[in-house]
Amino acid sequence: MSMKTINNEKGIMKLSLFYFGLFFCIFIVNSAVAEDTESQQVVTNKSDPYESFNRKMFRFNDSFDDYLAEPVANGYKWITPKFMQTGVSNFFNNLENINVVINDVLQAKFSQSAEDTGRFAINSTLGLLGLVDVAKDLGLEQNQEDFDQTFAVWGVPQGSYLVLPIFGPSTARGIPAAVFDAAANPATYAGVHLKWLSIMGSAQPIAAVAMIDKRANADGALKFIDEAALDPYVFTRESFLQWRNNLATDGKSEASLDLEDLGDQSLDGNKRSGSAQSLQNDSGKKSGFTLRLEADSKSFSKASQSFDSAAQSFVTSTKAYEEAGKKLDTFNASKKKRRKIKD
Amino acid sequence: MFFKNMKLLVVFMFFVLGTVNAVAQDEAGVSAKQVVDKFQTDLISIMKDGKKLGYSGRYEKLAEPVTNSHDLTKIARIVVGKEGEKLSEEQQQKLVDVFSRLSIASYAHNFKDYSGESFVFDSEEETTRGGVVVHSHLVIPDDKPVKFDYMLKEKGNSWRIINIIANGVSDLALKRSEYTSILEREGFDALINKINEKIESYSKQ
Repeated sequence: MSMKTINNEKGIMKLSLFYFGLFFCIFIVNSAVAEDTESQQVVTNKSDPYESFNRKMFRFNDSFDDYLAEPVANGYKWITPKFMQTGVSNFFNNLENINVVINDVLQAKFSQSAEDTGRFAINSTLGLLGLVDVAKDLGLEQNQEDFDQTFAVWGVPQGSYLVLPIFGPSTARGIPAAVFDAAANPATYAGVHLKWLSIMGSAQPIAAVAMIDKRANADGALKFIDEAALDPYVFTRESFLQWRNNLATDGKSEASLDLEDLGDQSLDGNKRSGSAQSLQNDSGKKSGFTLRLEADSKSFSKASQSFDSAAQSFVTSTKAYEEAGKKLDTFNASKKKRRKIKD
Repeated sequence: MFFKNMKLLVVFMFFVLGTVNAVAQDEAGVSAKQVVDKFQTDLISIMKDGKKLGYSGRYEKLAEPVTNSHDLTKIARIVVGKEGEKLSEEQQQKLVDVFSRLSIASYAHNFKDYSGESFVFDSEEETTRGGVVVHSHLVIPDDKPVKFDYMLKEKGNSWRIINIIANGVSDLALKRSEYTSILEREGFDALINKINEKIESYSKQ
């Protein structure tokens, strides 16, 4: 492995795109966050208030990967010829282009949307339903756009970092965005009609193949984390947040360059320039985008918190139900007692 | 006679101007772009001999280019952030030593062979706080190019790299989060042990 691994870093992030059954996960997250806020550690990062919960999820995902995802992906790589693997990846990437075009338009990138439409049309026809990436040879590079980036352009702040079971790293903004992404991807529905193709007894064979394909592609990146990280959890979190931020701003964000502030020994511990939150506060006045984001962020800041507070209120309401349940029990018990006394 | 003198004068003038120029250039030192250029050239040439040199050969050859182009002392200070204030003089020195070895080791490990890669300079810009950012990208045959942005600060009469941002991911920010987190959670000795383990595992592969 050479420095190509660096380029693979986007692969890790692809793991976060395993977005099926998301609502279920949100509930798991919420209930787990409930237990966790109480045992909140002293060590907190502004963008990662649920760190101790996230660390537990990260560990779970890690063992899930060790015991299931990695062996399955390796098996897939072992039994499938290389050209077929590329074909499978191309096929799913091509389907994602529908979502890319939608988000191009939503972000007002009209010329890019025309290019991406052309890319999809060419690969779907000349490229044999997307199996061959003909467009790449014609100079049409694959663009990466999704609803999380669109929301960012619209000014929705990133919100807290969350590690979802199996799906991996995400954020408060990324979770609802992923639901839209999944809805705009034909692969999500394809499985319903192709049950006879069922591998591994999955009801969603196409989704399963897509996931295995993504895991296989992320292999280099995951190995890179293993090799380079002193603390794999923090390494994954920081690179994920920076990578998403870089995508959302199309590489124009100079937030990461603000690190020169760190050079001054005024080093204020709360400031993590790397994480995307610094974007709204101190990234340069260079790009109009950032300015717009700064202006919008005030009006939208409530929106970001609303997800967090929704999670919190879910937690409190479950607690309220629990307490109510207990009260009912004791009430019933005392009623019975009274009856017994009467009898 | 006049012409001859004139000729001499011109030669003399050139000579004087030449020396002044040379002195001036010396005073201005090496520019940020030159520092990055030289480092990238060294890196590529070591990659070309990568297989022949082996890990230890690459480590030895990279030691000087890395320490001369990076401000490793400053980077080591930045990555521990506020936690650094709690460290003793001796601990700080130890951190700089171990961190320098890690930096060289990770280059030796990650840039181990050559398959037609090349660095291309894009642009250079000054930042508000007196730093310079050199934008460049690495061209990899049959793969997407990787953007490399180098953040440099002036040191003496030269420039030194203090951060590398690869495809928008800042190495310094990444390390800073990791190191401060380990220092807060597990302490200084654990950090040093972990870095040493990394160096060890880099040398084995």
